[in-house]
Amino acid sequence: MIEAKGLSKRYGDVVAVDDVSFSIGKGEVVGFLGPNGAGKTTTMRMLTGFLPPTEGTAVIAGHDIFENAIEARRSVGYLPETPPLYPEMTCRSYLTYVAKIKDVPRAERRGAVDQAVERCGLSDVHRRVISTLSKGFRQRVGIAQAILGDPPVLILDEPTVGLDPLQIREIRSLIAGFAAPGKGETQQTVVLSTHILAEVEAICRRVILISGGRKKVDAPITELTSGGHSLEEIFTQETLRDASVDLEGEG
Amino acid sequence: MRHIPTVADRELRSMFVSPVAYGVLSLFSILGGVFFILYLADFSAYVFQLQQMQAMQELEATNLSDHLVNGFYGSMSMVLLFLIPGITMGLFTSEKANGTQELLLTSPLTIWDIVLGKFLAAATFVALLAAIVGMFPAILFLYGDPELGKTVAGLLGVLLVGWTYAAIGCFASSLTRSQVLAFLITFVILLCLLLVPAVADLGIAGSAPAVAEVLRWLSTGNHSAELSKGLVDTSDLAYFAVIIGVFLFLTKAIVESIRWR
Repeated sequence: MIEAKGLSKRYGDVVAVDDVSFSIGKGEVVGFLGPNGAGKTTTMRMLTGFLPPTEGTAVIAGHDIFENAIEARRSVGYLPETPPLYPEMTCRSYLTYVAKIKDVPRAERRGAVDQAVERCGLSDVHRRVISTLSKGFRQRVGIAQAILGDPPVLILDEPTVGLDPLQIREIRSLIAGFAAPGKGETQQTVVLSTHILAEVEAICRRVILISGGRKKVDAPITELTSGGHSLEEIFTQETLRDASVDLEGEG
Repeated sequence: MRHIPTVADRELRSMFVSPVAYGVLSLFSILGGVFFILYLADFSAYVFQLQQMQAMQELEATNLSDHLVNGFYGSMSMVLLFLIPGITMGLFTSEKANGTQELLLTSPLTIWDIVLGKFLAAATFVALLAAIVGMFPAILFLYGDPELGKTVAGLLGVLLVGWTYAAIGCFASSLTRSQVLAFLITFVILLCLLLVPAVADLGIAGSAPAVAEVLRWLSTGNHSAELSKGLVDTSDLAYFAVIIGVFLFLTKAIVESIRWR
């Protein structure tokens, strides 16, 4: 479903992402791990077509992000770090607008919005103005916006940041549901970024760890922890090694 | 391109959710009324004076179009100079502030959908303002007989001037994240367009007549003045089309460049 081929992003001399490749199959839920500033958001922005890679390319659901940009963008539901909401709109009119710009056919629009409202637990608030919603609900509107039109790929950038434990649990079970859908729902491939290790263990089967813009680890969680190491140990080891290399380089 | 109305529709709705749009429309109507009464009083005083002086020739040459409506149009265009930057300043800056820019640029929309949709929204609002301007000369038709051609052509001038300002406002709004800065940039560009002919006439008309000619051509006022004489010339219409087109192209380039930063 997602094929990243040597993705790199440079801003002048600063390398944000350096030659990252991976392949994610249909129905997988992959956790993007890494310390803050590791290049997670930049990688996701490249996959969604928001930022063009300096080098390399990616293929989303069979569409190259350069050659077939619009089709590739159509295949992705994306929740950026801050949910992209218009505070003055009602939740429902906002979702209807998103359905329109995502080319959901007119006849299916109403049903698609209803379904997104339902799946994200927004039934009680969908007529309210977004600026009056709590942070948890806004995050859910952000997720509802991403799943509208049933895109085959979901890319969620820190979907649980800033939420309370109860909300986090709800959002996690929601995400787990996307890859293991009920009847009549499409199975989706999910990539989510986080720096909360427990989150990855709770939802994902596979982990891609990025540090200093490079891919460090790419393996199923069971394989990683089979040697008796916890995810935290691996995370610390990989990111610290990177930091020490940096220090040596400067010294 | 088929999502231009979708983007425009959302933009307009958002404008009318806040009290700003209503405030602007009310203020504009009040200012229109005040200016209209001032020009009307001025006109009747002038006619009265001519009658007193028995200046039949001047009286014959005096008419509502040249001595009232055109001045009124000119004043209202000046008001637009202050209002339109306020309308357009949020077009792109608010998308950046809300983070919705990421939604738009990762959706299947094309950049032209976004830019033209936003411009269409601003242009519709300007058309509303022009309709308010048009209301006042329409009253004159009830009581006198101004020249229809000149009145309509002049109003077309007001509309085109407004659209030009809106295109420039779009561009300024795409440049920055700050609404205040977007307002100021628009205002400065508009002032330049206004002051250019003065500079051309004063400074370099003698030494570099070709440059002066180009600068004079750039002035928005010169072209709308032609229209208010009742002369709908393609070259003047082309001027507005060119300026609007250039600024919309620039806006598109700026929005696109967000991807390349």
